Amino acid sequence: MPARRDLLRFMAAGGLLAQVPLRVHADVWQDSFAQAVQRDPWLRGFRSVQRETYDSQATVAGRWPAGLAGTLFRNGPARHEIGNFRYHHWFDGDGMVHAWRLGPAGVRHQGRLVQTRKLLAERAAGRALYPGFGTLPPDPAPVTSADDVNVANISVLPHHGKLLALWEAGSPWEIDADSLATKGLYAFNDDMAGVPFSAHPRVEPDGTLWNFGYVSDGGFIVLWHIDRNGQVVKAGKVDVRPMTFPHDFLVTSRHIVLLLPPLDYTGGRAADFLDAHEWHPDRPTRVMVVDKNDFSRVQWLELPAQWVFHFGNAWEDNQGVIHFDGARAPEPSSMLNAFRAVMRGERGDTATFVHHHYQVDTRKGTVAETPMFDRGFQSEFPVIDPRVSTLRNERLVFLCTDDAHRVVHPLLNGVAVFSHAKDHLQTFWYGDNVIPEEHLFVPAPGSRPESDGWVVGTAYDAVADQTRLNVFDVRGIGDGPVATATLDYGLPLGLHGKFSGA
Amino acid sequence: MTTRLGPEHLRCARFVRTALLAALGISPAAVGGTLTVTMTDVPSATGELMISIGDEAAFNGTAPYAVRAILPARVGTVTFSTDALPDGSYAARIMQDLNGNGELDSNFVGMPKEPWGMSNNARGNFGPPTFEDARFELTGDTTLAIQVRK
Repeated sequence: MPARRDLLRFMAAGGLLAQVPLRVHADVWQDSFAQAVQRDPWLRGFRSVQRETYDSQATVAGRWPAGLAGTLFRNGPARHEIGNFRYHHWFDGDGMVHAWRLGPAGVRHQGRLVQTRKLLAERAAGRALYPGFGTLPPDPAPVTSADDVNVANISVLPHHGKLLALWEAGSPWEIDADSLATKGLYAFNDDMAGVPFSAHPRVEPDGTLWNFGYVSDGGFIVLWHIDRNGQVVKAGKVDVRPMTFPHDFLVTSRHIVLLLPPLDYTGGRAADFLDAHEWHPDRPTRVMVVDKNDFSRVQWLELPAQWVFHFGNAWEDNQGVIHFDGARAPEPSSMLNAFRAVMRGERGDTATFVHHHYQVDTRKGTVAETPMFDRGFQSEFPVIDPRVSTLRNERLVFLCTDDAHRVVHPLLNGVAVFSHAKDHLQTFWYGDNVIPEEHLFVPAPGSRPESDGWVVGTAYDAVADQTRLNVFDVRGIGDGPVATATLDYGLPLGLHGKFSGA
Repeated sequence: MTTRLGPEHLRCARFVRTALLAALGISPAAVGGTLTVTMTDVPSATGELMISIGDEAAFNGTAPYAVRAILPARVGTVTFSTDALPDGSYAARIMQDLNGNGELDSNFVGMPKEPWGMSNNARGNFGPPTFEDARFELTGDTTLAIQVRK
């Protein structure tokens, strides 16, 4: 599918452009969504959050596992509207951080909108002010730094005693882990203040933290190496022009791997961020393999054009071969198209995500990819046992859908546990109007890596308008949840989380 | 979605550490009115304020600034004036040199770490301010107010 810009050019050439509203502003999107949500309950997951904070006890059912205690921190776009203006992309929603506090005494849910500069400025102005990821409001204010438009809405990171709310093109926001109050922009040190820190850092079992960030106008990617105490060990810049934006990356015992899709940054001040990019399906996705010990040592390889939001894990064998997995789509139409359309209450076209296994032979300089499942079986939000992060993993947990389990909504509707060693897949399918969010693996205390534990994840029941936390035994996910904790309200569909043990 | 507020856009070359004012190549006959620049919101009394005023070529680094001056920093407001400029189009840039190295220090990705300001209080938009953003017209006696901040 052509990039949006190419599509517009094509329509302009055909004389169709005059009939197509290029920028539909203000309440057209809001009205369109408000009508659609009456018709399709699943769209309730994309409503704008109506509250600033939440704090309540959930109703627990089933048999709560002994040993499952701690906090599931989650983040996601939540405020989608200001005044009569609705954002034009799901990823523009202002972030809300949640804490699901789990223990034998019950389950408590807290939620709080991150008080970003943007949120405060727009609230004071009473209108949307800034160009966003996929939204250009009328009469936009100038953007003088990435943190002007940092909505802190993708993920969270508990690390060195801090809780950080993560966006991907700016600073982390520090959050009080108890109250979820926003403390402010977080800087690892003075020289790295304001340097982009992506929402998908990788943490080694010993607490060593790696991340990347992209600087679109600079044409480079920043690499971060941080110790378990939050001290920056080193940082580097790699010129990657033509500039693009990766969302996730991989780390092994020796290397950092980034896939750079042919979604070129074209710049321009008049557009939102997505519109400042062009998709080039004829060009490769570049594979950038960097030495962890020396960020100036970079090996470049190529794969066919593809778009991967999320990877599960990477590890490296003693032959210098890197193995990793990711949810691969042939192109980024979900992001360019479907996640815009949903904000109008429409189903946009989207490519299918099929989980792939990749091998990079660092000695021979080759890369290969193989689908792990049938084409009809889609995956996203892959996670692993955090105790084997960057090491060889046998197990993968992810959300899924397939042709045999179609439901009324177009989103993922199942959760799966896959064993590489046994080549064995278990699935659980949610009901027709239930939309699961990312599910994590939570190890049982004292267990060996990738043995006992639980799959813990939230799901939005669009008919009941309730969000529910579900707990599965990892060895029997197909049997359904062993325990649930249900709120008497529904939350906007979110993105990623991290579990912090008691 | 990041900006490029690099030091190269704000650095006023090496400041000549002389008293107040250096008027370069301006003949007395060309002098117009008095330009008064009020620097506001100066966050601290540390170091010096460096002001550079010039035309588009100077702004873009291809010619020297017509006026450059160094003033002691004071919390709040500091005023500077000059009679050395003929009427015309200019931009003014100010930086607070906190550590006395004569440069606007920048962080790992080139964002300023020291307070700065430009005429029109231009701060840029997905990048540093352009000359057009910061341009002002000097026609007779003229007063500018410029915020100096991080």
